[in-house]
Amino acid sequence: MVVIAVTGKGGTGKTVVSALLIHFLSRNHNLLAVDADPDSNLPEALGVKPRKTLGEIREVFQVSRDEMGTMNKEQWLEGKIYAEAITEADNFDLLVMGRPEGEGCYCFANSLLRGVLRKLMRHYDVIIIDTEAGLEHFSRGTISGADYIIVVTDMSKKGLSTAKRIKELSSELKLNFKQIFLVGNRIMNGMGEDIIKEFADEEGIELLDVLPYDEEIVKLDIKGEPIVLMDENSDYAERVKKIATRLVGDGNGKNEH
Amino acid sequence: MERKRIEIPADVKKVESVGEEAEFPFDISPMYEGERIRKNEMYVELGGTEQPGFELVLALPEEEVEDMKVTIVGPDLEEMEEGKAYPYAMIYYVAGSQVETDLEPVIERRNHDFQNYLEGYMHLNQRYDIWIRIGKGAIKKGLKSLTQIAKATMMLFKNELPFIEKIEAVYITEPTMVEKTLNEVAMPIYDERDARVEALHDEDVDEFYSCTLCQSFAPTNVCIVSPDRPSLCGAISWFDGRAAARVDPEGPNRAVPKGELIDEIGGEYTGVDEFAKEESGGEYERVKLHSFFEYPHTSCGCFEVIGFYMPEVDGIGWVHRGYAEPAPNGLPFSTMAGQTGGGKQIAGFLGIGISYFRSKKFIQADGGWYRTVWMPKDLKERVSKYIPDDVRDKIATEEDAKTIDELKEFLKKVNHPVVTGVVRPVDGKKITEGWVEEEEEEEVVEEAVEEAAPAPAMQPAQVQPMQPMQMQLPLQLPQLQLPAPQQAGGGVKLIIKDAKIYVDKIVIKKPEEKKKGGK
Repeated sequence: MVVIAVTGKGGTGKTVVSALLIHFLSRNHNLLAVDADPDSNLPEALGVKPRKTLGEIREVFQVSRDEMGTMNKEQWLEGKIYAEAITEADNFDLLVMGRPEGEGCYCFANSLLRGVLRKLMRHYDVIIIDTEAGLEHFSRGTISGADYIIVVTDMSKKGLSTAKRIKELSSELKLNFKQIFLVGNRIMNGMGEDIIKEFADEEGIELLDVLPYDEEIVKLDIKGEPIVLMDENSDYAERVKKIATRLVGDGNGKNEH
Repeated sequence: MERKRIEIPADVKKVESVGEEAEFPFDISPMYEGERIRKNEMYVELGGTEQPGFELVLALPEEEVEDMKVTIVGPDLEEMEEGKAYPYAMIYYVAGSQVETDLEPVIERRNHDFQNYLEGYMHLNQRYDIWIRIGKGAIKKGLKSLTQIAKATMMLFKNELPFIEKIEAVYITEPTMVEKTLNEVAMPIYDERDARVEALHDEDVDEFYSCTLCQSFAPTNVCIVSPDRPSLCGAISWFDGRAAARVDPEGPNRAVPKGELIDEIGGEYTGVDEFAKEESGGEYERVKLHSFFEYPHTSCGCFEVIGFYMPEVDGIGWVHRGYAEPAPNGLPFSTMAGQTGGGKQIAGFLGIGISYFRSKKFIQADGGWYRTVWMPKDLKERVSKYIPDDVRDKIATEEDAKTIDELKEFLKKVNHPVVTGVVRPVDGKKITEGWVEEEEEEEVVEEAVEEAAPAPAMQPAQVQPMQPMQMQLPLQLPQLQLPAPQQAGGGVKLIIKDAKIYVDKIVIKKPEEKKKGGK
């Protein structure tokens, strides 16, 4: 199992990168996509209509738990998650985490959830998690860790300072990741590329690649169409494929972990 | 409901097989737990959302169980059409010298665990909700019949639960029979079990369960979950505690042997006291499970509802997290919770879970519902059916009273037990004196009850809480609108721990005499 968390400041294109990684990797791997950013639109980018979020199921649990009698609550939650929260797309499963909890005590609900998710996740070859920059689900332990963290940034100062913060946070949270990577996105010129490279050197983060500005992605975005419909032979798509192979292998028997 | 073998009509197709299977065409290991069989990898689905399904364990006398026998009623896997869903019932007859009806649900629950050890077989949910998927991969590897599934499951049952001496399985896929057995046998048994839960009390069990999930926020909190007292967060019942303790005996939910009964009415046990002492790091030595004033349960911070004593009416109010307005004591939930939470034992305030209102022992030492004078309407409606008929209408909500004065007025009007004195139902003892006749200036005078802290120069005395002073008096009490600050020497013990206090200037003065005749 390889767990890859894709993160970065909102608007830097982390969801585009996540969606394409999911799209390419799910062809040869048993894959779970996790949307752990309440503001993202990973399901739309993938062209998948999501079902209930994990957050919604947790709320149902909170209000119905008193009526469960001797029923086993972990089994109840597990059943709900498998039946109502996991969306089965053609090549992969999708789980949307949803909003964080409301008022009240969620210690027990979250402790059960952690158990269920841990058991579920170990059965996939690859898990791609599109997560907000605060890494909330990691800090709460609902998702237990990641092998690789990819920080997506554009050329903006804000994108880069968020990247820096994520690097610090991910060490503090003790995620036990193997490596943290940087991916430059929507880089329009040599100057942008230089800024990103310089930043990567300074921070000691390995730069995976610098992805170009892509007209087609912008168009799909404007029309609200799934990113995965883009031309697979474009420079952009080819570069993402290379990132995927680098992290997971090509799926043809090559096992890198 | 009588336990007996399911009758199988003569005209229904059935296949029987007796004896242990030498080999299975699938792996068996806990590593397969959580395995999800996706729709396009699925051979067939059993039960689930489209078809009825259930699982049931029946304890039978030894001579009625034929060990390791499987009967498949209706179409078997090979006769099923790929991609379709079928009805599914899994019934197990079990026998053994220790096997009793009470153990049925405990054994039944393990069906989920054991079946999930089977490679290529996904089992979800419980009772009448079960949902099974069998993978195409399993069929390819040689799975042909549900008999193989049943035999593997029975083998696990016998290995893991050695008190099962004999086990027999009947798996049904024939639609009418699944429906009929579900409605006529299984449902009444599930209902019967739920009814037993309501009837299960602290005295019926040997162990309670602890919960320390909250200790990261409330290090001295010790949640004790008993049949009559669910956790403060409302999430964990005694059954949940038991299930969790079985899976992970050293985890956050551990078994707490009750030990000797010290106080039947308050709910105090030597085992619980010892555990509380140990787990709170020596902070608390005694905990009474069903007491409000005397050694009450600690309050974590997660509690759904907080109870607060109002000395002015000698009654207890309850407010839940969702009610944002101040309670009649002038304080909102958040303020009271902030001061009480963190694992403290504070007489006069008590955090509880909403489901504790269902308990037959609900603060029984202090009069239970008959001492309850106020709760928000929302909360009252939620628990209304658990309130005794003769006091239900006497408990005020925010529609009846928002302040202490309005509350007094209301309680007097409806003649609430606190007005004339509360008799606690558990033993018929009169535990409060009731209000003393009001004086003209509308101040209640009350002298009898201050044994613990006789305060010399009191202001116009309000009704004093009786017991709170037995405990260490928390610093917050004055702010919390308990009795007006008393003069020095009133027998109050202040314990300040880990405090950093910075004071610029302290001025201590005798109270000035009230000047007469204006400025």
